[in-house]
Amino acid sequence: MTELIALAFGAFIVQNVILTQFLGICPFLGVSTKRSSALGMGMAVVFVILISSIVTRSLYHFVLVPFEMEYMRTIVFILVIAALVQMVELFLKKVSPSLYKALGIYLPLITTNCAVLGTAIININNNYDFVQMLVYSFFLPLGFLFVIYIFSFLREKINYAPVPKAFQGTPIALITAAILAMIFARFGGIL
Amino acid sequence: MNILIPALVLAGIGFILGFLIYIVEKYFHVEEDTRLQTIQSMLPGVNCGACGFPGCAGLANAIFEGKGKPNQCKPISADKRSALETYLKEAFAEQTPSKA
Repeated sequence: MTELIALAFGAFIVQNVILTQFLGICPFLGVSTKRSSALGMGMAVVFVILISSIVTRSLYHFVLVPFEMEYMRTIVFILVIAALVQMVELFLKKVSPSLYKALGIYLPLITTNCAVLGTAIININNNYDFVQMLVYSFFLPLGFLFVIYIFSFLREKINYAPVPKAFQGTPIALITAAILAMIFARFGGIL
Repeated sequence: MNILIPALVLAGIGFILGFLIYIVEKYFHVEEDTRLQTIQSMLPGVNCGACGFPGCAGLANAIFEGKGKPNQCKPISADKRSALETYLKEAFAEQTPSKA
């Protein structure tokens, strides 16, 4: 049990997906300008990573390993993630049009979020069993949600700050992200 | 021979996923305005993003909601654009409420 808690905490803060592993930077910078869209994107990523990790892990152990084609895992995982995102999109469009509208373009963009593929591959590389995989693939995107949400607060504040013209927009966002990453690097001493 | 099995397995996975998407599409089909699809089919479909919207579907949606204009599309040819504009005039003229 303590191992699982350590794994969860590690995935959430210490080995944070954005600020320590540098995965999923594109939506981190692209969708963090508004709090509401940051929250929506984060939740969609949590959902997709959790489902895709379950599917890719099962597919790897029950299809790829028996056929001795582990080297094909990248392309298979991308296929699965793309199809899953498509299905989630169709499902949301019917079941919850309001959430579908709120997420907009960010929903199909999850396909190209490398955090999704990254989680699937980390799960395989670290030989996690099913429960460990579940914990890891839930808390890792939760860390994504947490960081993108606090970053959206910062960016909303930066909008009111007197930023020099050359640094407006993405440059100041990158500098802010770097300072955040330095803060998060200090968590490395905890575990 | 070694290359054949992975290719077949991959094709199988792709087929199953495609079939699943088809089923999901069938069950969760949402009725859309046919004009939206017509607008999208009249756009070039190159998804260049030069209009500022995410792909041609995004621009078609914006035009449909009145937030976009056909001349935002950069790669469309002049006669196709005028065809789209005349279509928009016809299709949306019916919608304006008649005055009593």
